[in-house]
Amino acid sequence: MFTSILNEHKGFGKQIMLLSKNELIKTYKGAVIGPFWAVVKPAFTVFVYWFAFSVGIKKLRDVGVNLGSHDPFTIDFFTFMFIGIIPWFFIQDSIVQGSKTLRTNRQFITKVKFPVSTILTYTGLSRLYVHLFLAIIMYGYVIFHRVSNGMPAFSVYDLQFFLYCPLMFMFFLALSWSTAPMAAFSKDFESLIVSVMSGIFWLSGIMYDSYGFTGFLKYAMLVNPINFFANGYRNCFLYNRWFFEYKTEFVIFLAEFVVVFILGIYNYNRLRKKLPDVL
Amino acid sequence: MSDAIITFKNVSKTYILYKNDQARFKALFIKPRNPKTNRALNDVSFEIYRGESVGIVGDNGAGKSTLLKMITGVAFPDDGEIIVDGKVAALLELTAGFSMEMTGRENIYLKGYILGLEDAYIKEIEEKIIEFAELGDYIDQPVRTYSSGMKMRLGFAINVNIEPDVLVVDEALAVGDASFKRKCKDKIKEIINAGTTVLYVSHNANSVKEICPRSIYLRKGTVIFDGPTDETLKVYEEYKESVKNKKKK
Repeated sequence: MFTSILNEHKGFGKQIMLLSKNELIKTYKGAVIGPFWAVVKPAFTVFVYWFAFSVGIKKLRDVGVNLGSHDPFTIDFFTFMFIGIIPWFFIQDSIVQGSKTLRTNRQFITKVKFPVSTILTYTGLSRLYVHLFLAIIMYGYVIFHRVSNGMPAFSVYDLQFFLYCPLMFMFFLALSWSTAPMAAFSKDFESLIVSVMSGIFWLSGIMYDSYGFTGFLKYAMLVNPINFFANGYRNCFLYNRWFFEYKTEFVIFLAEFVVVFILGIYNYNRLRKKLPDVL
Repeated sequence: MSDAIITFKNVSKTYILYKNDQARFKALFIKPRNPKTNRALNDVSFEIYRGESVGIVGDNGAGKSTLLKMITGVAFPDDGEIIVDGKVAALLELTAGFSMEMTGRENIYLKGYILGLEDAYIKEIEEKIIEFAELGDYIDQPVRTYSSGMKMRLGFAINVNIEPDVLVVDEALAVGDASFKRKCKDKIKEIINAGTTVLYVSHNANSVKEICPRSIYLRKGTVIFDGPTDETLKVYEEYKESVKNKKKK
């Protein structure tokens, strides 16, 4: 079943790279400060959240974290939020833009023969470039934060970035195999996704610690894959924890990944041949 | 066995007409119960051989466009089988499939990759395409900045210079000013003479006669007649007459 998507990618590597670069140019071209918008927008968002919670509400200066395996400790709110919100920016774009992609690239579906699933790949890649750029800035901050707290600048846990980042890319790519054809079919589905996004943000542990619950909520939080990535980035840069140390979280995520992957292939194959008729 | 380059085996295609957007949303999750449908192609079978020029005639809505879309690989049948054994170039909507922010040159490569061509081969034909399209220095500007005539010229130049095995031509093709039009017609003739399989869609009986020895007549998604162009056109004319007479009565 998976072969349909795989076959569409075979021999199209160069085309995907060319188009992903082009997609990036398309996004930021025509503006005076062009690519800087990729930084300005998230920077402003980060500032607003920090201002609202640390300065405005004054409550959130520090976040207490209890991983269970480590001694409880506190992290200043800005650092805690910053590390979690960087993957969130990528996730948000992937879900919202990813579902709109087929509609906005309809000329490749209704007019020419085209490996349609690669559209999702190259638009995803162009978002990944932006994310990597932001991640470098974030890493700069992490080093600064460590050094100013008298810690060594680098840590072996940082290397987990190369696990979490590709996993995140793949997970939301597989998700878009489902959402993109469905949104192409029905504008309502697209609107549905857009309208739940801000809700999803507040239901995820970006601004607060998703481990800080007890009972039912503790497990409900583990089901949200966004928490897996927000906490994953914190594992790398703040918590000094390996991804396999919290086995329950990791296993739940892997199970979800498999489900999303299979559903994605199923939905893509189901709707692919109908796309030219509805777009 | 046979030398067929295009084979249609009992091909059918039905478009589902959704009542409204709710119905369409619902159809994502549940199969619609007896929806309104439009049968665009109904059990169509034929073979087209290498080097043949075949005309396709029929009124609007007869299924010509759907048929061509299937040959070019854009649309897919619900039932039946389609085998196309070769590179297809389509002179249908010339400006379609361009990436507007990319330069003309990049779009040549893009189109080449889509058709499964290698870098080296595209490089070979690149200059030919640029020369034919008469774009000059504009080739390294984004396609977004082109006039519609320039876009069409580039689209035409790419499609005819990739040495297709099958060329699909719509007679209602607009390619800009008179001199370029003549150039295009000459090029199409050259391609036909070189032995490329050509599918020619038209309302104009004379131009079909001129180019195609064989024609297929489609009416409401069904092949009514498939044979020598003279006979096909006779059947087509007769039907048109009968419709006219009915109206008079």
